Amino acid sequence: MNSILNEFKSTSALCEEELHDSLYDWDTANGFALPTFEFPAVHNLNRFMKDITSASAPCQIEIQHGTTTLAFKFKSGVIVAADSRASQGNYVSTSSVKKIIEINPFLLGTMAGGAADCTFWQRELGRQCRLYELRNKERISVAAASKLLANMIYRYKGMGLSMGTMVTGWDKTGPKIFYVDSDGTRVDGELFSVGSGSPFAYGIIDNGFDFDLDVPSAIDLGKRAIYHATHRDGASGGTVNLYHVKPDGWARIGRWDVEDLHWEFQDQPKPSPINSSVIG
Amino acid sequence: MDSFLPVQVSWTPQTAASGSDFYPYTNNAGTVAGISGGDFCVMAADTRQSFGVGYLINTRYQPKMFKLSNGSVLGTSGFYADGLTLIKRINQRLEWYKHAHDKEMSTPALAQLLSITLYSKRFFPYYARVLLGGLDLEGHGVVYGYDSIGSYEPCLARATGSGGSLIQPFLDNQIYRKTPLGILQAPHTLDQVKAVMRDSFTSATERDIQTGDYLELFIITAQGVDVEKYDLRKD
Amino acid sequence: MVSRVDVPKGGFNFDNYQRNLILQEKGFSLPKPTKTGTTIVGTKFKNGVVLGADTRATGDTTVMDKNCFKIHYLAPNIYGCGAGTAADTDKITKMVASQLELHRLATGRESRVATALTALTQFLFRYQGHLGAALVLGGVDVDGPHLFSVSPHGSTDKLPYLCQGSGSLAAISIFESQWRENMERDEAIELVKEAIKAGIFNDMGSGSSVDVAVIEKGRAEVCRGMEVPYPTIQKVDSYKFKPGTTAILSESFRNFVTITEGDAMDIS
Repeated sequence: MNSILNEFKSTSALCEEELHDSLYDWDTANGFALPTFEFPAVHNLNRFMKDITSASAPCQIEIQHGTTTLAFKFKSGVIVAADSRASQGNYVSTSSVKKIIEINPFLLGTMAGGAADCTFWQRELGRQCRLYELRNKERISVAAASKLLANMIYRYKGMGLSMGTMVTGWDKTGPKIFYVDSDGTRVDGELFSVGSGSPFAYGIIDNGFDFDLDVPSAIDLGKRAIYHATHRDGASGGTVNLYHVKPDGWARIGRWDVEDLHWEFQDQPKPSPINSSVIG
Repeated sequence: MDSFLPVQVSWTPQTAASGSDFYPYTNNAGTVAGISGGDFCVMAADTRQSFGVGYLINTRYQPKMFKLSNGSVLGTSGFYADGLTLIKRINQRLEWYKHAHDKEMSTPALAQLLSITLYSKRFFPYYARVLLGGLDLEGHGVVYGYDSIGSYEPCLARATGSGGSLIQPFLDNQIYRKTPLGILQAPHTLDQVKAVMRDSFTSATERDIQTGDYLELFIITAQGVDVEKYDLRKD
Repeated sequence: MVSRVDVPKGGFNFDNYQRNLILQEKGFSLPKPTKTGTTIVGTKFKNGVVLGADTRATGDTTVMDKNCFKIHYLAPNIYGCGAGTAADTDKITKMVASQLELHRLATGRESRVATALTALTQFLFRYQGHLGAALVLGGVDVDGPHLFSVSPHGSTDKLPYLCQGSGSLAAISIFESQWRENMERDEAIELVKEAIKAGIFNDMGSGSSVDVAVIEKGRAEVCRGMEVPYPTIQKVDSYKFKPGTTAILSESFRNFVTITEGDAMDIS
């Protein structure tokens, strides 16, 4: 009899908990908690995720994917650069993605892999970094921030998240780059390039890199590396976005259409229409 | 710290025998497009609802665009039931927001809300291709394009759904003026945008069997949301 | 000298069959043949048969051809509408048409519908459904009007009115409610048109316009676009590009003709 009672008791407790959850979802105080997700009622989540994203599924869930990103340290800080193409399978869904994510005025993240995964979790990271600041009266280190991100997504390992990101910034220890991905990797480093176009970017960076590069040359190196990746990798393209991480936070250096860069690097004038009145 | 609490997940009882037996989606297809202008935004969608496999038309008139506020309209295509559920959720959050702040939510805030609502089902996504159109805080037209798990960005012109890949290149050419010579930005008036939108859909209907019947235009200006209806092919 | 080259004896070539199976296992799927949604119908009337078809060809959910021809010639007095794999219906009707032609030349007699039917079914049966051809076969011969349907496996049906393809359910509803025995020619044509239109509007795989073939004793008439139920909607704007929009990257000229001075041509 008692066991039956307990069963009912625990069920009702569960209900209350659920009710509590659903009610407090609207309460701002609940905003301190980690995000929650709805799960399908299946035994094998991994298989379900594979089923719904497979190309043969009648209703394929197509996720936007990002492509060439890079970050390297040099004497005046960190250069962070990325292309702007997002593709869903073979389809270029947009060419104006901001793949360099401004986590806060001192931290930058990059986007490779699932676009939604990167933006969502780095936004969440930004929130947690702000909470850290309020609690500790000082800025979070890049090492700690990247570890927060790595731990957060490690909970979902093997469940289909896809992100390869570099968390960069300048803290008490100087300029920092951490590579964090959805497999659980987190490594400190001097130079990374992530995404399908990364081999091409690595080629250019390794060839032209020097730690004592001045700022304009470092910017040019980053620009060229992304341009060459977009030239050879079909899944990269659009524009080059470039940031410079300095002791007092990051600065947005600029955005260049890779087509303009193509003619610039060829030392050729960009062709213009014969009839100028066609513009507009 | 909060982040060391166990992850909150709402597991429902596991009733399905195995993962592959559970396939909760159907494609009701249809096309949605949006173009933004200086002080207006035009959202468009066909009204055909079809039933995934089997060439069946469920109905010739089932609107898939919804007015969320005086300055924003949401268009959905894909699995209609998921789209409806999404709209219900968003509308409820908007209602709460209105009571809490005594004003309507702005379109950019709504865009972010839509993103996290989609992402809250990251592991059980809505099969919905959505487009949000409206006016931003300065009164400029804006269209937000999404993938089904919440990646989003503002854009000038966007088309999605079954005929999306037919319309998008046309919009790239006519609105973004993307040519082999780069971007030649064209100024466009409301009448020009409406013409481009109507012609996009008449052409998409010629080639996409899941698009057709009627075209609905939602025109969002500072004065509010106007709806216009046009004929499309019905075969 | 003996030729070492194998002369093809006709029929299908299966050389790559095993290789393709292996490729498929490795994830290289075969290119998909065009399988189009269709509405095709046929009915008998007092003096003959009327066949009808829509003109839409689809590839998945894309319209590949807005005005394709689905009524195939088999003999001057026999026609067949095709549904299913486009290449199969096309080729099979062409092969049978030439067999019938040779048969007519050898015998000096008009082809019979039953001959065409037997040729088609025997051929299809050998390939056990792997040829995806579904046909509505109609004609008039010495025994009068005949109407048959043929399935991809080679089975047949003999009925006074028939529909096939993805729009067949929509089309049969028209026949089931309105068909009568011994209809006049115009009545039968009208009924076929209505049936095809039911397919065009209610089946997404069928569309565009109605093609009709009327076969009577001693005459057959094929009418392309007998009805275009939905006029093309006119564009609101024009999207012509101004000349000079495309940039010229480089120019080069080559002379192919050398012009030399010579005597003036005599034009007196």
